[in-house]
Amino acid sequence: MSTIVLLLSNIWAKKARSFGLAFAVALAVMTVVVLTVVSSGLESSAAAILKIGKSDFTVAQKNVSDILFSYLDTHQLAEVRATKGVANAVGALIETERINAANPLFLEIGLPLDELTPFGVHVLAGRPYSANATHEVMLGWRAAEDMGLHVGDGFYANGTKNTIVGIYSTGISFGDLGAIFPLSAVQAYNRVPGAVTLVFVKVAPGYRIGEVEKHITYAHPELTTIRTATQFGRADRNLVFLKAAATGSTILAVVIGAIVVGNTMMLSLFERTREFGLLRAIGWTRTRVVSLLLGEGMVLAVVGAAVGVGLSYLVTSILQALPQLAGVLHSNYTSEAFWRGLYTGLGMTILGTLYPALRAGFLAPLQALSHE
Amino acid sequence: MNEHHAIAPTLSSQDIEPTGIPVQGGHISALTSESRSNVEKDDASLAIEVIGVTKEFDGGAVRALNGMDLRVERGEFIAIMGPSGCGKSTLLHLLAALDSPTSGTIRVEGQDLSHLPDPSRYRRQTIGLVFQLHNLLPRLSALANIEVAMMGSHRPHRERTVWARQLLSELDLADRERRHPPQLSGGERQRVAIARALANDPPVLLVDEPTGNLDSDASANVLALFARLQREYGVTTVMVTHDPAVAQAAGRILQMRDGRIGDPIGA
Repeated sequence: MSTIVLLLSNIWAKKARSFGLAFAVALAVMTVVVLTVVSSGLESSAAAILKIGKSDFTVAQKNVSDILFSYLDTHQLAEVRATKGVANAVGALIETERINAANPLFLEIGLPLDELTPFGVHVLAGRPYSANATHEVMLGWRAAEDMGLHVGDGFYANGTKNTIVGIYSTGISFGDLGAIFPLSAVQAYNRVPGAVTLVFVKVAPGYRIGEVEKHITYAHPELTTIRTATQFGRADRNLVFLKAAATGSTILAVVIGAIVVGNTMMLSLFERTREFGLLRAIGWTRTRVVSLLLGEGMVLAVVGAAVGVGLSYLVTSILQALPQLAGVLHSNYTSEAFWRGLYTGLGMTILGTLYPALRAGFLAPLQALSHE
Repeated sequence: MNEHHAIAPTLSSQDIEPTGIPVQGGHISALTSESRSNVEKDDASLAIEVIGVTKEFDGGAVRALNGMDLRVERGEFIAIMGPSGCGKSTLLHLLAALDSPTSGTIRVEGQDLSHLPDPSRYRRQTIGLVFQLHNLLPRLSALANIEVAMMGSHRPHRERTVWARQLLSELDLADRERRHPPQLSGGERQRVAIARALANDPPVLLVDEPTGNLDSDASANVLALFARLQREYGVTTVMVTHDPAVAQAAGRILQMRDGRIGDPIGA
């Protein structure tokens, strides 16, 4: 009989307890994986805004709670445009609106007519809107397809009925799921004349992107530049808080899980005191006894982690199917989520098992053998 | 493994250090402290030497062993008798390095138990323990119960299995290897426990009331087994019992009283 067979037979001997322990690990792992997957999905969705506009980087107001609350005025936009090394800077007013149950956060972009091409907008059908039109809209081809709308159809948004004058493509799926309005119309509807949410900057050839970013943030400490999803927190505090909440929940799950595992393993220690005493009496070393208990915990942790990852798929799917969260929650399964789940399972098991295992290893064989 | 206590010679060459010392056979040198100086044995022939050992409990309120002396030669089978509380089990625990004496010296196979670098290794390699209650792990088969004792012995697990099977076969339990302790009779359980004690081929067997829970037939079988182990394989056996009939199986019977060994019975 190998050590692993002994270990498995010990686990199998207490099926209900082993199942309970593995399930506790699975629940903790599931919680951690779901939170990681959801926060990562939200980050990806939010960062997708940056990709539309085909810019080298985006300028936003620093430390706003939500990036869509970023506010840059005409003066700031002009100064960004005038910064050395900036080839082109497109100011866009971006908002989300509930169109219907399937589109609770529909993306709406306000852009000046002459910025459509620099922004990477290609008209696929119909025509662009007129410069100062108040009731005209261009619909992304994915949004048009999803909603079954065509050029000439009506589209209710911004509190009014608009006419779809064109279908566009940006080449970025997130951008093609929204609509583009004349900038002045969106500014008027939101009562923010001259304001934009983000400025999409293209750097001139021969200039380094980092240098241009530095110029802008030096001249405007109230602004920040974003190039990657990980830099998103500079502007969007919600995402930072969300990620912090996910990390906090992970720690909490590990601590609570470790307490549950520790409690179960202590119970096991008391029940098996005589057994450990016997093993020590017939020549087992302390290390071997400690390893046996740790090994049992590790096997259950790995099983629990695997089940937890499976459960996370199920729970995420259920959450996404809820009408209240449809279209809001996007799952983004990354290797980070799986590793975090595994670390959580192993971490809580090691924390919870270490003390009972050490107690078992350091039992005095004689006293342990007389344990009832 | 040496030829005196080789139960399965084909398997035993790796882990057991040979003593190279022939069995002296049969006679016991259990001495009171007064007579010890009169009869000096060659130390190399001694399996166990207990010199002036005292063991106190509760801060000295209870003295289980009181300056005890004992010498056991290699290959002897001795029985230590005495009433409950006379210190028999305490002596066995000290010999097994499960406890340490308050004062005095114990040497087993030349190892001073007060200065053991690794008591686990000593318990694994030098002694085999047989308890009154068999103390088998109920969820493991008879075979696995024996193999458990060999974990940590550096034997590959396949070899452990083969060796455990041979031990079971030697003790007429070959057809019981898959059975778990609750499926075995009392005598069979005790024989499995003996097989486990022999698993690492120890030169010394320490046996505590081995027939306490057995009927007379099973008791006779178990005692015959100890006698055979001593006779055929030269295993030094120290058995404690309160039953005179059981003690008769040993080559020499010693009486314990007030924490000391008295004169050999029948000497």
